[in-house]
Amino acid sequence: MYKSFVFFALIVLLTHSSSAQSFSDAMKEEINIYQKIYDAPLQVAGKPPASFKEFYSQQPFVLALVFTRCVGICSPFLVNLKETIQLQPFEKDFKIIVVSFDPWDTADEMELLARNLGLKSDPKWIFAVTDSIDQMNRSLGFDPVWDSVRMQFDHDALLVGINGDGYITKKLIGLRERNELNQLVASIHNVFSPTYRLPNPNILFSCFNYDPISGKNKPGLGLAFLALPAVMAVGVLLIVSMSVRKRKIL
Amino acid sequence: MESIKIKKITSVWIITVLVLFVASIVLGILMRLNQGGALNQAPINFYSNMTIHGLTMIGIWFVAGMAGINFLMERYVKTSYKANLTAFILTVIGVVMLWVITLVGKFHVAWTFLYPMPFKIMWAKWATPAFLVAMSILSIGWLIWSISMMTQILKKYSIAQAFAWQHFTKDPSVKTPPFILISMITLVGVITCLFVAVVLMALYFAEFLSKGSFVNDALLMKNLTYFFGHTIANEMLYLGLAVLYELFAEVGGKAKWQTSWYVALAWNFTLIFILTAFFHHLYMDFVQPEGFQIIGQLASYMASLPAAAVTVFSVWVAVYRTKIKWSLTNLLFFIGVAGWVIGGFGAVIDATISNNVVLHNTLWVPAHFHSYNVMGNVLFSLAFFYWFSIQFTEKVVNERLSKLVLSLLIIGGAGFLLAFYLGGADSIPRRYSNYPAEFTSAKPLALVGAAFATVYLIPILILFVTITKRCIKVLFSSR
Ligand code: HEM
Repeated sequence: MYKSFVFFALIVLLTHSSSAQSFSDAMKEEINIYQKIYDAPLQVAGKPPASFKEFYSQQPFVLALVFTRCVGICSPFLVNLKETIQLQPFEKDFKIIVVSFDPWDTADEMELLARNLGLKSDPKWIFAVTDSIDQMNRSLGFDPVWDSVRMQFDHDALLVGINGDGYITKKLIGLRERNELNQLVASIHNVFSPTYRLPNPNILFSCFNYDPISGKNKPGLGLAFLALPAVMAVGVLLIVSMSVRKRKIL
Repeated sequence: MESIKIKKITSVWIITVLVLFVASIVLGILMRLNQGGALNQAPINFYSNMTIHGLTMIGIWFVAGMAGINFLMERYVKTSYKANLTAFILTVIGVVMLWVITLVGKFHVAWTFLYPMPFKIMWAKWATPAFLVAMSILSIGWLIWSISMMTQILKKYSIAQAFAWQHFTKDPSVKTPPFILISMITLVGVITCLFVAVVLMALYFAEFLSKGSFVNDALLMKNLTYFFGHTIANEMLYLGLAVLYELFAEVGGKAKWQTSWYVALAWNFTLIFILTAFFHHLYMDFVQPEGFQIIGQLASYMASLPAAAVTVFSVWVAVYRTKIKWSLTNLLFFIGVAGWVIGGFGAVIDATISNNVVLHNTLWVPAHFHSYNVMGNVLFSLAFFYWFSIQFTEKVVNERLSKLVLSLLIIGGAGFLLAFYLGGADSIPRRYSNYPAEFTSAKPLALVGAAFATVYLIPILILFVTITKRCIKVLFSSR
C-alpha cells in the first residue's frame, strides 16, 4: 500500500515536471511561426557566397542549428536526423541546411563536421556559416546563451522548417520522432497536418471521443448538447400551447 | 388600435437603435480607414472596435425586428407590455456593459467570441466574466420577450394554425396571416438559438468557475457558438421580412397578402433548415464528420432559396405592371429585398463546400453578410421606423429628401459592399487590422470602402434626425 502510494506520488511528480517541460518547449516552438527568416548571407566551403533566399526559392528546406565545438546535444541531434532521413526517405524532396550559430566557426570547420558525419558528398545536406548570426537567430526566435565557465553555448536543439517563400512553417525542439519530422516536412511543402487534442479526463462533454484501439472517433455526450436547445424549444412550444389552449395543441 | 404604451416603447426602441447604429457605423468607417492605412490604430483598439461593432450591429437589428413585429402583432393579438419593457431594460444593461467591456476593458475576441479565446486573457481581467454576464443578461431578456410573443400567438392560433399547416389542405377553414406565420416561425427559431446561448454561457461559466477541473470541448463550443450566432443573424432578417409581408402591400394601397400553400411550405422549410445551416461555419474543421458538412451545405440551400423565391415572387407580383403607391417605406422594402437577394446569393456561393475552400475567412464573408444587412435587413427595419414615425405625427413627406436619401443609400451601400466583394474575390483575408504589402489591392479597396460607407452614413443621419424627431413627439404625446 505504502509502496504504491510512493510510486503514485512519483508518477504524478514526474508527469507534472515533464508536462511543464514540454509545455514550455511547445510554447517556444510557436515563436515567430509564419514570420520570414532573415535573408542571411551563407558561406559553404568551396562554394560561392549565397543566402537563405537563394536556397528556399529553389526548394524548401529544414534548418538545423549547431556549432562545431559542441560537446552536448549537437552530434546526437544531427546523427538522429541523418538516420531518420536515411532509414526511410521522405516522399517530397527538400534540403537540410546546417548552420553554425558560433561566430568562431568557419566554413572549413563546418565541412569537417559534414565529413565526420559522412554527409559531405550528400547533395541533400549543406553545411554553412553566416556573418549575420544575431539577425538570423532573432528572426527564428532562437536564443543560445554563452556559458563562459563551460565554454559552451546553452541552447536548444532546434529544427526549423522553411517553405518556398521563406516563411517559418514549423519548429521542433529536441530529438523528435519520425512522425513529427513528417509534419515538419509536410509544412514546408505547405501541406496541412491535422492535429487532435489529447484525451483529457476534465473534458466531460466531447462531441466525439477518440478510441485509440479502433482508431475511430465515437459519438460523445457533447452531441446531446447540440440537440438539447431544439428539444427545449419544442418542449416550450408544446407546454405553452397546452397551457394557453387548455390541452388542445393542434 | 395600438395602446399608448406600445407606441411609446416602440419609439424608445427606435431611438435607441438609431443612436447605436450611427455610433457603430462610425466604428466601421474607422476600421476601414485603418485597414486602408489612413489611420494607425493599435491592433488592440482595432479589434475592440471590431468586436463591439459586430456585437452591437447584430444586437440592434435583432431588437429592431422584434420591436417591429411586437408593434404590428397588436393588430392580431394582445402582446405583453411588461415583457417588452423587461427586454428593453435588460438590453440597455447588456449593451452598456458590452461597450464598457470592449472600449474600456479592451476585450477583443470578435463578436463570435470563439472558445477558448475569452479565457486567453489579453485585456482587463474583469472583462471576461463581465462579458459572460452581459451575454447572459441579453439572452434572458430576449428569451422572455420571444416566449411571451409566442405565447400570445398561441392563445389565438393552434400550433398547426400558427405554422399554417392547414394551408396544405384544399380549403383551409382558418386563414393564417403571413405575418403571423413568419413571426411564429422566426420566434421558434429565435427561442431555439437563445436556448443555445444559455447552454453556451452555462458551459463557459462552468469552466470559468471550476478553475481547470472542468474543461470544454472546443468542437462542441464552436458548434454551439455558430448555432447561436449564425441562427440569430438569420432570424433577425426574417423578423424584418415579417414586417415587410405585413406592410408592403398596405402602404402601396394594395390588398393584403394571403398565405398560400407554397408560402406556408417555404417558411416551414426555413424553420427546419435554418437550424442546421450553421454547420457551414465548420467546413474547415476536419474533426467534424463529413455528414455534418454535407448537411450544412444542403441546409444552407434549403433554408434560403424557398423563402427568397416566394418573397421575390410576391414582391414582383405586387409591383409588376400594377399601379402602386410608391413611398419611402415601400421603396426601402423593395431595395431591401434586392440587397437581401444579392447577399443571399453571395452566401450560397460561400456555403458551397468547393467554393468555401477558396473563400473561407476572406472578405467575401463580410461582403455577403453586410449585403443582406446594410442593404437588406437594415432597410426593412428603417422602412418600418419611417412608417411608424409618420403614423402618429404629421404625414408631410419631403419627396426630394426621400429621393436624396434613397440615391445616397444605394450609391454608398453598393460601393461599400463592392469593395468587400472585390477584396474577397482577390482572397484578401477578413479581420486584419493592417494588411501586409503582399495584398496589393487590400489597402486601396479599404479606402474606397471607407469613402462609400461615409456616403451611406449621410442618408442614415438624415433618417436618424427625421425619425427621431417624430419618435420623440410620440414619446411625449398623451394620445
Ligand atoms: C456602413 C456601415 C458599416 C460599416 C462601415 C461596417 C464596417 C465593418 C468592417 C470594416 C468590419 C471588419 C471587416 C473585416 O473582417 O475585415 C465589419 C465587421 C462586421 N460588421 Fe460591419 N459595417 C457596417 C454595417 C454593419 C451592419 C449593418 C451590420 C449588421 C447588421 C454589421 C455587422 C458586422 C459584423 C457582425 C462584423 C464582424 C465582426 C467580427 O468579425 O467580429 N456591420 N464591419
